[in-house]
Amino acid sequence: MSDSAMAEAVRVLRDEVLETAEHGDRDPPGTEVFDALLRALTIGGESVPGLDLALHDAVARRLAWGDSEEAVLADAELVFDRLLIAVDRAFRDPADRMVVIEAATQVAVTVSRVVALAAVARAGRDRAARMREEMSHRQLKDVLEKQKAAIKHLEHELKQDFR
Amino acid sequence: MTQQGPIRIAGDSHLGKVRTTNEDTLIIERRVGLYAVLDGMGGANAGDVASQLALETIRDFVLDRRTTLAPRALLEAAIVAGSTAVFTAAQQHRERHGMGTTVVACLVVDPTHVVVAHVGDSRAYLLRGGRLQTLTRDHTIVEELVGRGLLTAEEAERHPYKNVLSRNLGARAEPRVDLLELELRPGDRLLLCSDGLYGYASAEAIQYLLGSGDAPEHVARDLIDLALRGGGGDNVSTIVIETPAAAPSSTQVVRTRGALAWWQSRQRFLQVANDGGLTRNPIVRGLLPHEAIELVALSLCQAIYHDLEKSTGVNVWTFAQNLAAGWFERGGDWKAVRGLIDILGASARSVVDDIRAGDAQLGFLLDVAVSRALIVVELALGGLLAERLRQVDGDLIELHTTAVDTAEHETIEMYELHEVHELTGEGPRPSERFIDRPTIPFLRPDRPITSSGESAEVLNAIGKTITIARGRLSPRAELVAQILVALETVATDNGGNFAAAVLAARELYGVRSVDNAGVTPLYDALDKARILVASSVHQIRAPQAIRVRVLRALSTAHQRLVGATTGLVLEAVGPFSERLREVQAVTNELHDAVAKAERLRADLERRFATIVDPSLPWGARGTTEW
Repeated sequence: MSDSAMAEAVRVLRDEVLETAEHGDRDPPGTEVFDALLRALTIGGESVPGLDLALHDAVARRLAWGDSEEAVLADAELVFDRLLIAVDRAFRDPADRMVVIEAATQVAVTVSRVVALAAVARAGRDRAARMREEMSHRQLKDVLEKQKAAIKHLEHELKQDFR
Repeated sequence: MTQQGPIRIAGDSHLGKVRTTNEDTLIIERRVGLYAVLDGMGGANAGDVASQLALETIRDFVLDRRTTLAPRALLEAAIVAGSTAVFTAAQQHRERHGMGTTVVACLVVDPTHVVVAHVGDSRAYLLRGGRLQTLTRDHTIVEELVGRGLLTAEEAERHPYKNVLSRNLGARAEPRVDLLELELRPGDRLLLCSDGLYGYASAEAIQYLLGSGDAPEHVARDLIDLALRGGGGDNVSTIVIETPAAAPSSTQVVRTRGALAWWQSRQRFLQVANDGGLTRNPIVRGLLPHEAIELVALSLCQAIYHDLEKSTGVNVWTFAQNLAAGWFERGGDWKAVRGLIDILGASARSVVDDIRAGDAQLGFLLDVAVSRALIVVELALGGLLAERLRQVDGDLIELHTTAVDTAEHETIEMYELHEVHELTGEGPRPSERFIDRPTIPFLRPDRPITSSGESAEVLNAIGKTITIARGRLSPRAELVAQILVALETVATDNGGNFAAAVLAARELYGVRSVDNAGVTPLYDALDKARILVASSVHQIRAPQAIRVRVLRALSTAHQRLVGATTGLVLEAVGPFSERLREVQAVTNELHDAVAKAERLRADLERRFATIVDPSLPWGARGTTEW
């Protein structure tokens, strides 16, 4: 089966794999994984890790807009599991099944990689933000000390005046 | 005149600066892959008649007989037929007696195979690897003498009969045709030309233009201009045939080239950003100009470079999220950030335009990379706003929940609902929020244990696959070897591959640092192991059905292992966020304390002012509490 024919044959499994009956047709969980699989099948086995920037952007966008890393991973795992079941049923030729399984594994690994690297990047940002916060702590403490001194002075002056 | 398809062809011809008629003719017959330059000779307009007659005869012969003769024989027979036609015509017309034509022809059999034939002094050149080679030897009296060793090359150059032909079409009915079969390589360029080109242009100049990388139609035109600048004393004709350049070994090669080109242009990018007013943008206020350029423009430059080089997209996202955070900290003025993005976009595009002028492919690649970076920045800004909105939303929900809980508590007391729960055996269900739900299934203690459930035959085949994969590893790839062992363990574990995957991932993860240097090699090794396993499955001796099951089992194990590894990365990253939240809470407390002290100080100052200033009315000098 040609690359494009293979992609078309897998595209047919979309509703089953993404459970669109339950989640709705518009962007059900794991859509980015399924789309990446179709791309991987279409280009026929590109194996450079993380090369699919569209997948990277889709995952990063989910993370940026508030989905947790765990949710993204869990969706990828569910899509992978359901796809393997669907492929067993839908493809008769073992060679075709192997092609899809290989592509699915590649995509699943890429998703994990993207999530892990995003988490590492977040840790770096958090570390930098913490340093900024700690610097502002020092400034705020200085301000607070000055304010306390001013307050003490003013209270003293006020007591003197009334005495 | 450019051929669409794998091979590009272009040709052109010019009268020259001296002659009044153009006796050169070209054959560009794409249907059959026939290309030729013919240079006619003979007085009283007989030269152009000869070349035109030969052209028609050769072309028609090839069109008619291409299915019956082999390429080499076809081209030779066609040229002989052309000569016969010219010779016959010359015999029939007294005024055309002595007319003739040279020919250099090329029959493209397929994109890698051509046949070149020539009679006379029109030439074929091959440019390969930047070097120009002459494929033909001129059929002139002088050249024949050089060939026999009777003249040196220097003497030939100065010889008075150097242009007198020893062979041409029309001198005799069946001339001897020199033939050459050539295997073309990717990027090769063939040039067919009349003596009007090489007679007025040096070989170095021809080599330079042919190797310029310009499109064939431009090269054909430029070569003619070259001959015209050299005097243009004869008709000049050129045909350039170009085989497609070698495809890069992978997309990654192109990306690496793009990354380098981008990085080499960074100074220009920074300069344009500076000129565009980046240092005056409100978001970078308080920074020295060079700090602002480094922090914003150079960071973007580095992010795009690293993403291209390493084929990941994480760096641009990190830059974008940093920029978004900085923007929010500086008040979140939309106009300011819009201006900053516009400056960065304009600067990047000017650099990309420069690169595109030299290499369209790299220009396209970088254009995409820059566009993506700018889109990512806007997405990150949107994401930050969404996060802030979600925080506000969460606070509102918490307030609402507190209010509802209070109301429910009163209701429960009223109806003593706990007695009902005791009777039914159900407890009050706390409202479950999405974020409370565990989402890494394998880390959940109640995750069902699944046995691999594979037959002994499959388990045996899994072992063989891993053995083959390990045999193909270099001894230094220890991490990949470790992963292969882990995969076998997970794939064959009867106690459930989730638990086995978590255990194996913990061993693999070890004590890695939580940064790119610590994490990336692990994922690279995981990917190598995946590729190795996939190829090794095809090498085991087993029925196809068994192979599918082996691949499936190992792929599932791989997915579990990678998922568990990522879970560990997330675990390791967690404390950074928690620590930040703690520090942020302290910041908020300090802000509150400062605000409270500020209010107190202002109040005291006001009171102090009213006391020390006697001009103020008594009532304003203090309250009754004093």
